[in-house]
Order: sequence, then C-alpha cells, then structure tokens
Amino acid sequence: MAKIDEQDILRRIQDPQSRRKVFEEIVNVYSRQLYWKIHYVVQNHDDTDDVLQNTFIKAWRGLENFKGDSAIFTWLYRIAYNESITFIKQKKQMSSIDDEDFVEQASFVADEYFDGDNTQELLMQAVSTLPAKQRQVFCMKYFEDKKYEEISDLVGTSVGALKASYHIAVEKITAFIRSKE
Amino acid sequence: MSTKNNRILASGGSRYPFKVSDEYFDNLTARIMEQIDSVEQEVPEKVETVSAHSAKLFSIHKNRRRNLWISTISVAASLVLIATVALKFIPMPSSTPVEQQKAVTTVQYSPDNYNEDLMNYTMVDNVDVYYYLSSEEDFGE
Repeated sequence: MAKIDEQDILRRIQDPQSRRKVFEEIVNVYSRQLYWKIHYVVQNHDDTDDVLQNTFIKAWRGLENFKGDSAIFTWLYRIAYNESITFIKQKKQMSSIDDEDFVEQASFVADEYFDGDNTQELLMQAVSTLPAKQRQVFCMKYFEDKKYEEISDLVGTSVGALKASYHIAVEKITAFIRSKE
Repeated sequence: MSTKNNRILASGGSRYPFKVSDEYFDNLTARIMEQIDSVEQEVPEKVETVSAHSAKLFSIHKNRRRNLWISTISVAASLVLIATVALKFIPMPSSTPVEQQKAVTTVQYSPDNYNEDLMNYTMVDNVDVYYYLSSEEDFGE
C-alpha cells in the first residue's frame, strides 16, 4: 500500500480546487484494503463492489467536513462498515428475515471469486454464521493477523472486548466445523 | 484458545480464500471517480428543482400573506366604521346620577325618535324630494 501524508491530504481537502484530485489519491490508496474489509461482511464480490462505491460516494460528500479527528483509513473503514450493515439489513428485509446478523450458509463453490478447497469452504461457511461485527474481528485477526490494538483503533472497541469476541467466534466456528465432520 | 481449536482452524489455512483480478482494482479508481462526477452533476439539478419549488411555494405564501393583510385591514376598517356609526346613534353612558337619569330618558326616548325620523325618510317620495330641492334653491337665492 502506498503511503499517504495525512497532514498534506487534510490541507489540500480544504481547497475546493484540489479536493477532487486528493480524493482520487485516497480512492487509489485505500480501495483495495476497504474492498476486503467489506467482503468480510457481505462475502460476495458484486455486493462488495456496490458497497465500496456507496462508501466512496458517502466519503466524497462528507470530505469537506473531515477534520482529521481520526486517520483517513479509520474514517473510511467506519463508513464502509456502516454501509455494509445497511446493505445486509436491506438484503434481509427483501428476504423478510428480521435478524440483521443472520447470514445464510452460502455455497462458496459456486462463487467464481472463491479460491479455496472444501476445508476452506467449510471454514467460510462457519464464518458466515457469525454476527457481522464478530465476523469482522475474526477475519482481521485470523486472516490478516492484525494486533488487537490495531483492530481496536479501527473498530473503536476495547482490546478486552475484542479478545472476548474473537474467543467466542473461534468457539462457534470450531463447533460448526465439528458438527459437519 | 485451546490447541484443539487451533488445529481445527489451521486445517482451513489462514489465507482468505477469495480472489479478485488485478484488472478490477486497476479500473476501480476511474470507475468510482466517474460515479462521483455523475452524482455531482445530479446534485445541482436537484438543487435547481428544489429552488424552483421553493420559489413557487414562496410566491404562494406571499400571496396568502398579502390576502391575509387585505382581509385584516378590511375587517379593521369595517369595525371602525361600525363603531363610528354606533357611537353616533348610541349615546354614551353618563357618570353622574342626574346625567345617568337623563341618559336613561334619552335612551328611552331616542329609539322612537330615531324610528320616527327613519319612517319619515323612507316615506319620502319624488314630490317631497322636489319640494326639498326647490326650497333649498329658494333658500340659496
């Protein structure tokens, strides 16, 4: 990932002449990272693409008011997470299921973007049964090997709560996999 | 986390098992910026529509406000007229007992007087009008 000078970005955001150019740089630097964060929640390429575009449109509209209280990526991540949750809610409403955390056990083999074997598919099925926030925490810890402190900064939850959340997620996933063996 | 759980998880590997072509990410920035440009173009149109709508609403409100003012002034003028006429024909109450007694007498007498005059006026015919006018002419002379 290319490095970005946050102070320089903040300064240039205030200038309407350079705002579009700055935003293009932001999209270029952070879109890949955001894509995967959104994918952890929605678990489907087309939906991730939609949510990612909505995220950047929302970010563009709010760019003028961004004062740098948090890092740019943290700000983008929070927009992306909220957009992902909104998307899931809307999808559930359309399929008349009330629980926003409910995720149907997808068949990832049919997904052309899935790149794994049967064991990995079983793992992803187990992950898909977790509530959205728990799924995020599990994926960032397990697949990205992020430190709890880093995750805490991003999601705004205490390290203790994240550890507990990850522990519960692992218990649920192993129970799911055992039940399928 | 227990070792058993670790083993179960490790069997799935720690690689996120999804892939997206580099081409997707290569075009992503351009696509998003295009999307933002089209959103930006939509916004002024909406603002314009909203402005036109607001102007229409303002005009309606302005007319309503003007009509309200006219109605209020008309009602006020009518009240003033009625009050003036009423004050002319209805005597004011007096403060002293003697005056009050006089007023009572006047009030008691007055309606008859007024009615009599009114009857006289309503019964005026063309001959009477001619008589009054000619007598005025005579008086003028």
